[in-house]
Amino acid sequence: MTDFLNYLILGLTRGSMYALIALGYTLVYGVLQLINFAHSEVFMSGAFGSYIIIHAVVGDGKSLPWFGVPLVFILGLGSGALTGAVIAWSLERVAYRPLRRRGAPKLAFLISAIGMSFFLSQLAGKLFNRFTNNQFPTYFQQNRRVLSIAGADVSVIQLTLIVTAVLMMLFLDRLVSGTKLGRSIRGVAEDAPTAALMGINIDKTISRTFIIGGALGGAAGFLFGTAFTFSNIMGFLPGVKAFAAAVLGGIGNIRGAMIGGLLLGVVENLVPTAPWNGHAWIGIGWTDVVAFVVLVLVLVVRPSGILGERLGRAA
Amino acid sequence: MRTQSLAKIAVVGMVGVLALTACSNSKKSGSGLGGGASSSGATSGGTYTIAFEGPLSGDNQQLGINEVNAAELAVKQANAKGDLGFTLKLLKADDVGDPSKAPAAAAQVLQDNTVMGVIGPSFSGATKAVGNTYGDAGLAVITPSASNGTLQTLGFKTFHRIIPNDNVEGTQGADWLARKGLKKVFVVDDQSDYGKGVADAVQNELKAKGVTVTRSSVDAKTTDYGAAAQSVKSSGAGALFYGGYDAQAALFAKALKAVNYAGITAGGNGVKSSVFTKGAGDAGNGWYFTCGCLDATIAANAKQFTADYTKAYNTPPSTYSPEAFDATNALIQAIKDAKAKGPVTKASVLAAVNAVDYQGITTEVKFGADGEPAGATTVSLYTQKAGQIVSVGLLKDQS
Repeated sequence: MTDFLNYLILGLTRGSMYALIALGYTLVYGVLQLINFAHSEVFMSGAFGSYIIIHAVVGDGKSLPWFGVPLVFILGLGSGALTGAVIAWSLERVAYRPLRRRGAPKLAFLISAIGMSFFLSQLAGKLFNRFTNNQFPTYFQQNRRVLSIAGADVSVIQLTLIVTAVLMMLFLDRLVSGTKLGRSIRGVAEDAPTAALMGINIDKTISRTFIIGGALGGAAGFLFGTAFTFSNIMGFLPGVKAFAAAVLGGIGNIRGAMIGGLLLGVVENLVPTAPWNGHAWIGIGWTDVVAFVVLVLVLVVRPSGILGERLGRAA
Repeated sequence: MRTQSLAKIAVVGMVGVLALTACSNSKKSGSGLGGGASSSGATSGGTYTIAFEGPLSGDNQQLGINEVNAAELAVKQANAKGDLGFTLKLLKADDVGDPSKAPAAAAQVLQDNTVMGVIGPSFSGATKAVGNTYGDAGLAVITPSASNGTLQTLGFKTFHRIIPNDNVEGTQGADWLARKGLKKVFVVDDQSDYGKGVADAVQNELKAKGVTVTRSSVDAKTTDYGAAAQSVKSSGAGALFYGGYDAQAALFAKALKAVNYAGITAGGNGVKSSVFTKGAGDAGNGWYFTCGCLDATIAANAKQFTADYTKAYNTPPSTYSPEAFDATNALIQAIKDAKAKGPVTKASVLAAVNAVDYQGITTEVKFGADGEPAGATTVSLYTQKAGQIVSVGLLKDQS
């Protein structure tokens, strides 16, 4: 039971990261019917952007007074989100808008996205370094226990990750369902030409959608980097998993992306470690396989994902 | 319908990204040309080149730098002595420690007709990739650090190494763990040639000693070792052995500390480095490392080497520096032997390497028919104490 809870917490931590990134895929898919494969690099850039700021503030790591820790953390989150938003916005300007203007086929967008993904990843490698285990400076005791549920410990960093991610998701949910901007995003997603006739500026809306998705992805990059490590190739695996999570929940569906992300994180931690005769049944070496087998099984039963497609209707 | 066909495109795209990104894991491949050997004391006996192949950039560059500096030092010292009758040069070929980059590095080495022997490759995977290339070219290869236990069986015609292989190291490591009276040991590998080899050796020997082994593999691209660490802890194993490299082991160490794993934690020679101590920080304290390598800072017969190395590179020699120094000196000795008998060619140098008997600072360098060290080899145990790697002693003496 304790083990189960331990893995569940690990799964929720990882799942909340997937969910944050998945939102970026789903939002863009909603308005453009395009998988923005460069989104994993938006995530990566968020980690590097926030590292520069955090490093400037705390140097190589030191103990901060109690009120300093949340301040630095929020600063990191903000700078990560800002970097992500700027990169995503530029991506749309450079890689997608020119294609959209010329009415290019969807495949051209995909190639463009993959090209930008390589470009950004290699650029970060060139600008910073190509080590795979860069770490943020430590400015708080990440592994201190904050609470214990039935013998399973939850550490500061796990709780922070989950709470921050959930707060950001709630914020996004409100933003999309309750504000004018959200209404225009939903409008464009449902029927872009009609939305344009109703006076919605499509270009602006798409741009803002990229900014929102990028900010979430960049913030996720900061959280991921703080909890684990960051590198110029960090985006690939979480990016693919988050894309899978978005498809799992129903691509284009915001709540679907959240549920899909959390579910994928939990499943890929619980299933391979499920005990059988006193040891792990499948083994942690199969984590990624399990994640994609689950994706395939869900899509066989529900081809449009758990909550179904289309941003406009379900959100 | 529209969205459905788009989803299909997306899946195709995802497969594409998967395939492409597998190749994009590339690291900077610096041009390795331009050996730093001085030509002082040169005579008119021609110029021969010793090539070094190993990681000089990327994640694992520290190991390559440890080795190439020692090789360079050996070449410089040999030239400075002035009794060679020829001039030596060093060619540095960067393979990033990556099997897929090794062929390019080997091609660079083979382009230079004055190359009479290769020090390296540093890594087992890279050695597997180019062992036949060098073998077909008839170029003698002496690796100071590729320790995979199958390399000598693959029919590489010119392969030599001066260190005990992973079967020897893993077996002794497993014996040491078994002597601790553990009932259950968790063995994890990183799915690399080196990691699997050493993990297999440890697992087989532990099983032979009646210890229960739980075996697991964690891909070396993993960033989150939370689940792996948790399963080690949940298994109730008294010790963890990690077969893999330093950068990943550091992450694993941190995750193990996060779950308060209290058992013995150990790794092979791939973990013993400053990359591990720096990456793991406090979490690395108490880790053990088995290594068929000499601690140059404490070994009596390596004092002069340690002083020279420190003077030349402003840092003390580290893992596999003394071995690379010995390998290079043995190769230089072989070129001298070849010259004494006749013209220096790749074939005559290879014959001389096969027959060499050179007393180095780590061991007496001579090779068996399969290229394995024929002299006595030792495996040492190291541990991390307060952020520094310190020697514990010979592994077979530890209880």
